[in-house]
Amino acid sequence: MSKFIIQVNGAAYASSASYNAYRFAKAALESGHEIERVFFYQDGVLNTNTLNSPASDEFDLTQAWVSLNQKYEVQLVNCVSAALRRGILSQNEAKENQRKHWNMEEPFEMGGLGELVTGIETADRVISF
Amino acid sequence: MKKVAILFRRAPHGSPHGREALDLALLSASFEQEVSLIFVDDGVLNLVKDQQPERVGAKDYIATFGALPLYDVETVLACEESLVEYGLDLTDLTIEVDKVSPSLITEQLSKVDEVLVF
Repeated sequence: MSKFIIQVNGAAYASSASYNAYRFAKAALESGHEIERVFFYQDGVLNTNTLNSPASDEFDLTQAWVSLNQKYEVQLVNCVSAALRRGILSQNEAKENQRKHWNMEEPFEMGGLGELVTGIETADRVISF
Repeated sequence: MKKVAILFRRAPHGSPHGREALDLALLSASFEQEVSLIFVDDGVLNLVKDQQPERVGAKDYIATFGALPLYDVETVLACEESLVEYGLDLTDLTIEVDKVSPSLITEQLSKVDEVLVF
């Protein structure tokens, strides 16, 4: 059994990268592997926009990540600076930046790039999408 | 401690890949990882000196490559074939790099624990 850290760099719906990341993460957990955390970097932070509202007959990727967290308690962390420059804000960042709205909430959380680096250090493998 | 290679494959400024690759490189180095930077394909264009990214509305992260020695990043490789494709000599570059063959890059990739491609 291995311990992975998953790095997601692709935006939800803009490419298949993030869907493939989700499928990999789900399959790994179902097979008994451990996932240190899922780290959203680059356009990957757009996966965590809780306002993502695909049509009812489409796969809801944001909700799928949330379900993965609920079932396996896998940590879902955004790179905060990558998120902020792409308009992904938690309630806390909205307050700090004097914005009226926010679009990221639990179980997604903000973190630093350090959480990717320490994740790479402690996991057996980093898998990037 | 892990050995991490960060591969620059895309041209700067048209996308944020180069900038976010450099952010990760410097942060990994500050966490005491052994980091190597490898420039291949369009990625070698990150190294061209005298760029003025602000004129296309982009942040000048190119200047930050100069900080690599402060972070003890010693292995910086550029693919000689990619440099030739763009007509670049070492004197055209903003930092000191080792000009290496593709097979040496393959060798470096096999020596590290993780490869992150940008």
